[in-house]
Amino acid sequence: MKNFFRKVAFGLKPKEKIPSDPLVWATSQITDEIPEFSFKGKIYSEEELRKHYREWVYQDRKVLRKKFKKDKMGYKAAKNLLRDNTGQKFWKNLEIAIRHKEATHGDHPVLAKLWYFWTNHFTISDKDMLADYSTGAYQRETIRANLNKTFEELAYEATIGWAMILHLDNMENVGPKSEDARAEWRKRKKRPATINENHARELLELHTVSPNSGYTQENITELALIMTGWAPDDKYHKTRLETADVKFQRKYHEPGKKIFWGNEFPKGKKGLKAAVNYLANHPSCREFIAYKLCRYLITDYPTKEMTDPIVKAWDKSGGHLPEVHKAAIEVAFKFNNQYQKFQNPENWWLQMSRMTDAKWPPKDERFDTYRLGGGPDPYQAKPSWFMEDMGHHPYLSKQPNGYSDLAEDWMSPELIIRRLIYARKGYINLKADNKNNEFFEKVVNQNFDNPDTIHNLLKQNDKTIDRHILLFNLPEVFRA
Amino acid sequence: MKITRRNFLKGSLATLFLAGSGIPVYSSTKTKKNLVVIMLRGGMDALCAVPVIGDKNFEKRRKQLILDDTIKLNSDFALHPVLEGFNELWKEKKGTIVHATNIPYTERSHFDGQNLMESGGKIPYKVKTGWLGRGMKAAGLKQEGLALALPMPLILRGVPKNNNYFPTKGKLPTDKVLSLLKDVYKEKSEDELIGMLEIIKSRPKERSYAADDLYSLANEAGTLMREPDGPRVAVFEVGGFDTHAAQGGVHGTHSDCLKDMDLIFATLKKRLKDEFDNTLIVTLTEFGRTIKQNSGLGTEHGYGSAIFMGGGLLKQSQVYTDWPGLKNKELFQGRDLNSTIDSRSVYASAMSTVFDIDFNTIKEKVFWGEDLQNLSDKLFKA
Repeated sequence: MKNFFRKVAFGLKPKEKIPSDPLVWATSQITDEIPEFSFKGKIYSEEELRKHYREWVYQDRKVLRKKFKKDKMGYKAAKNLLRDNTGQKFWKNLEIAIRHKEATHGDHPVLAKLWYFWTNHFTISDKDMLADYSTGAYQRETIRANLNKTFEELAYEATIGWAMILHLDNMENVGPKSEDARAEWRKRKKRPATINENHARELLELHTVSPNSGYTQENITELALIMTGWAPDDKYHKTRLETADVKFQRKYHEPGKKIFWGNEFPKGKKGLKAAVNYLANHPSCREFIAYKLCRYLITDYPTKEMTDPIVKAWDKSGGHLPEVHKAAIEVAFKFNNQYQKFQNPENWWLQMSRMTDAKWPPKDERFDTYRLGGGPDPYQAKPSWFMEDMGHHPYLSKQPNGYSDLAEDWMSPELIIRRLIYARKGYINLKADNKNNEFFEKVVNQNFDNPDTIHNLLKQNDKTIDRHILLFNLPEVFRA
Repeated sequence: MKITRRNFLKGSLATLFLAGSGIPVYSSTKTKKNLVVIMLRGGMDALCAVPVIGDKNFEKRRKQLILDDTIKLNSDFALHPVLEGFNELWKEKKGTIVHATNIPYTERSHFDGQNLMESGGKIPYKVKTGWLGRGMKAAGLKQEGLALALPMPLILRGVPKNNNYFPTKGKLPTDKVLSLLKDVYKEKSEDELIGMLEIIKSRPKERSYAADDLYSLANEAGTLMREPDGPRVAVFEVGGFDTHAAQGGVHGTHSDCLKDMDLIFATLKKRLKDEFDNTLIVTLTEFGRTIKQNSGLGTEHGYGSAIFMGGGLLKQSQVYTDWPGLKNKELFQGRDLNSTIDSRSVYASAMSTVFDIDFNTIKEKVFWGEDLQNLSDKLFKA
């Protein structure tokens, strides 16, 4: 039963009271109010961070490249200075610290685990240096902040979010019959306006209905037309380049009512909202999300018995995420003893950190000491490096489909080497008072139903560090 | 383009007849032969990498993406100018391109497409092993595969104990801890973990920093594969080919990706030394891209693409194709370069040649007896 605390969260801290009713413990963390962050250092808004991104893009593209046209070394030096002046190597460390503190020290670890699910569902992959400035803030302000709303609302906000519009090229999606299509420069430069299908395709395939719904290439094109016009505000184009707030701009929008998947959708700004409404309420969408939630929490290949209650909760609540989440937690509880879910590297690392009350992430105040003009110090630089080295950096997924939730995708000699090496690093993160064998007894008693078997195994090692490495590489820790 | 599809085919066949049939038969040769697969993720634009010469249908649809200074390969096709390493292979008769080819998948999803290009199947996510893993199994090869990536790619799955290399810095546990873990894994029948621990035990206990860029990975792969008892199969990944915007011409995102691919070809050739003659490198992608550029100067998901091949096991340098043409009616769904060769025929023939195993065996055991063409005599040395 105790694996449930790791299945839906990150295990129990050594001094945490073992909940008498695990299901109530878990579902009570899913509230209609999104709790404040546990991280108490300075948190920057997406807008502020985007200003740094803007400075980076503008200075690099419009100033430095011009200024150092014939001086490669000079360009390199100026670019490095610009990196420091815009905090390029710092922000993602700060953001991961905020993210991880929810799991390791927060009072709502269940919500944290679900937050991670949704950040992966609405992935911003490694593109255009978004990870360095913006992805963490997007995950906070667009994803986490909307987890108390309906899926439709979350999907809409993610779709029109600046990071997503940029990430999936919707700023290049221009109606062939739009006002902009008739612009003189297009004729002069022989660049007729065309749609860009990228965002529309992923909205269907990855974010809402999935290919199981049977949409066609024609449907993708139709949706792309509806999505024309959603782009960074072009009135700032020269100085802000692509970094202005996203706004619906009629001049890029394909005029007229649209037919999408056999249904009529309004022209203009309302079209996308109506399309997201249609997609979010499509039966394939709730089935797809329910399946993905079960795959994340319960087992690689969920059954209909698992997904049905989640679909039902979706139907009943109109896709209200707290209700959908509670249903998923209940299913995870129901099948807890039958299925153990392989934990991805980030969740495994956070379980180790929470269960051992480790010094992870680095202290909040440590991040407040950062000043623009330099790089992060070695402690500040740990979060991003650790996650990247483990192959599971939450802002650097290689593709827009995010990271896999299948065990087989996390099994290779090098990935297991990471678990062995990072179990050692986890030990180094322990508080000095906890580096003893008695402490490990507590950790095991607190989190496992078979403590004696594990104690006997750990006792075969004299050194505490070896006990730690062994414990966190046991099959019952890899899975929950 | 001066030739039509019909006379191009005729020309190709003439060349092939001159080389004889060369149908591969099972051989017990003990020469170690290597197969390297480079997966090009995101949809490699074959019309950018290997543009067709003088085709107005192409030029009018790609006004801003037409390349200057391409390298002329023959009267019909040119090579992207950044592919200098590949061009060297071409000049040494060790470079081949199969053009207008793809896996039989037309739905244009990256993720379904990548799953199928690795599994070799027709229904996404249905097959849990990769065509390369099954091919190795059919050839009785175990512990011979090396992935130059952190995860074990699907393409290699299906044969036990494959290895991977992706450097990190740190210290492995003591032998005692590893042995205890192995005992636990045995007790719990964790066979896959046991296999991995065996591999890990053979690794140095302490790993210092090593670069993980493609050049370093290719260097390491070449060094390991050159050894008589080294791996016989290696898999690389190059990402970023999904250029919906700002694809670029000679310089730009797509050409940066092609440069990465080219670097692997060039580095492996250098590092494998004489063993390059017993090596075959092939590329793989999920689909090509639309012939028409979009207004963001990018291209959309398409169908037909191309396979780059290098190594001494190639019969000659050639652009092997059953060229479908680029007129509207010749395009797939009026927008994409068509695919006239099932790329699985190329991979099956490659495995037949490198693993010294009968083509029909590969066809049956790896590709479920599907109607694939044996191209071994056309592409590879007997």
